[in-house]
Amino acid sequence: MAAVEIQNVSKAFGKTEIIRQVSVDVPDGAFVVLVGPSGCGKSTLLRMIAGLEDIDSGVIRIGGRAINDVEPKNRDIAMVFQNYALYPHLSIAENMGFSLRLAGRSKAEIMERVAETARILGLSQYLARYPRQLSGGQRQRVAMGRAIVRNPQVFLFDEPLSNLDAKLRVQMRAELKELHARLKTTTVYVTHDQIEAMTLADRIVVMRDGVVEQVGAPLELYDRPANTFVASFIGSPAMNFLEGSLSRENGAAVFVSAGGTRFPVTAGDAAKAGDVAVTYGIRPEHLVLAPDGEGTEAEIAALEPTGSETHVVARTGGDRLMAVLRERITARAGDTLSLSPSPGAGHLFETASGRRIGA
Amino acid sequence: MSIADARPGEMTAAEIALGRSRRRRRRAADRLIDVLLTVVSCLMLLPLLFLVSNGFKTPQEMLAWPPTIIPNEPTFANFSAVLRDTPLLRWIGNSLVFAVLSSISILATSAIAGYILAKFPFRSLSVLFMVILATAIVPFEVYMIPLYFQAQALGLLNTTWGLLLGYLVMSFGIFLIRQNVIHSIPDELIEAARIDGAGELWIFWRIVLPLLRGALGALGVLAFFQAWTAFAWPLIVASRSEAYTIEVGLALFQTGFTVDLGRVSAASALVLIPSITLFVWLRRNFVQGVASTGLKE
Repeated sequence: MAAVEIQNVSKAFGKTEIIRQVSVDVPDGAFVVLVGPSGCGKSTLLRMIAGLEDIDSGVIRIGGRAINDVEPKNRDIAMVFQNYALYPHLSIAENMGFSLRLAGRSKAEIMERVAETARILGLSQYLARYPRQLSGGQRQRVAMGRAIVRNPQVFLFDEPLSNLDAKLRVQMRAELKELHARLKTTTVYVTHDQIEAMTLADRIVVMRDGVVEQVGAPLELYDRPANTFVASFIGSPAMNFLEGSLSRENGAAVFVSAGGTRFPVTAGDAAKAGDVAVTYGIRPEHLVLAPDGEGTEAEIAALEPTGSETHVVARTGGDRLMAVLRERITARAGDTLSLSPSPGAGHLFETASGRRIGA
Repeated sequence: MSIADARPGEMTAAEIALGRSRRRRRRAADRLIDVLLTVVSCLMLLPLLFLVSNGFKTPQEMLAWPPTIIPNEPTFANFSAVLRDTPLLRWIGNSLVFAVLSSISILATSAIAGYILAKFPFRSLSVLFMVILATAIVPFEVYMIPLYFQAQALGLLNTTWGLLLGYLVMSFGIFLIRQNVIHSIPDELIEAARIDGAGELWIFWRIVLPLLRGALGALGVLAFFQAWTAFAWPLIVASRSEAYTIEVGLALFQTGFTVDLGRVSAASALVLIPSITLFVWLRRNFVQGVASTGLKE
């Protein structure tokens, strides 16, 4: 096991800059998830760690050793690909023992380690089969087995669950987490799915356009997003944003949106904001039903009951708000209801830069 | 209308009748296609059948009318005459050596070049690929004579090496393998092998080649028959009877021995044996390799 340090790394394909001066620390034994929309450079960064892409500038170290010019096979890493990349003409056992065979290990040792890994992953009865004879989830497990069997210093996962159906994805997510808890191998995991990132990671790196937007623990990103991009990317359904300005009413700081919606703001945030144009962010799950006359009156545009909760799309003034309510709603589209933010749940951002204001 | 017909959601008698007549029409069309295909395949098989049966006929029966498919008095005289009077086996041997060596060379060059052109994206390589494709446009007859002088200068006339000169590389083969690699071998497979510690040669031998089996089989059949049926080049390279390939030998048969239909048929029938054997043996590969370029897992 080893830590991975990425320092000021850049990469361009032709004139297009894919990665710009990215620095990320992956502590020994940590599970770090690189997340971002497609084209943000997360996969390229992972491939640079693996040695499948050259590093234009900057340094990547694994276990303190700079690996810029080290061949992939000598980096002591294992990678799991989105399409599994199993060798179709080799049996499951041969697929899993491939790297050991190349490393010149004895047949007995290979068999023993493959059998042990297969046992951990519940693949023992499939060892003689071929990849085409397995289901998607089983193939995914074989791909993980191929990585585990080498006992590498670092695991690299490139969207490993994207090809699975929703139910299997949830199951494999739990298995991955369990596996990491057991092996404690340093892991770098790439995904575009923020739920995967939130549930798996010790630490999330949010990327956009080749730049790291924010690094932090999952709940830290959820509670204190550094900018509107991270705020909108983390959490589902996405955060509501209202543009407007701050003012004082009856001695208290209030946010007033361009559409006329008013939400209370803490005095500290208001003081830090000064009088710049601000964007107020509130997560749908932080909007609650208020007693009549106390919250913001909103007209229901659409209701989406999911069983455990109700998603409400509401219009207030010129603004659109999405609220996730735990209560069962008897109202219908066209009715009005009263919404108010949970105390202290609002986020303030500078409209021009998108940066977070205040603590 | 009966009660059953009137139920909502069920088909009326008229609809059922319409469906039945449509089905009947479709079945009739299918049958017509079957008949047509049978007739066409019989027409295509007939010359071949006559060729083989003529080989077993006496000269009298050959000219008899109506012609017989199964000879009344089958005879091996034509075969034994052909084998006695001409070096037929030698020609078949020449052709076999030529076709096998040519196939091996084409398979090797196509596999290596096709893989490299598909998986190593350098600009210079794509230019090279264009050049390779462009060579397919130039007919062999254009450079046949210059190539002949080269063979002569190298002292390769009347040798297998001389025959092989124009048959070592096949631009279509390179193209076929390149397309197959692009469609059926994802980059990740090669990258996974690199991370696993495999060298480039190892990847080529143990990963790429096994996955190209179908395409290489198809190309092998193509290359074999290209050499087996080659005529113009062997005709000018081989000037001595013992250096002939079977194609050249058969052609000279007709002039050299007048037109003895019985013997020509017998010789041709003998020549068919290796081709048919090979095709039957590799048929599955051939169809697969040509029909499906994308073998998605």
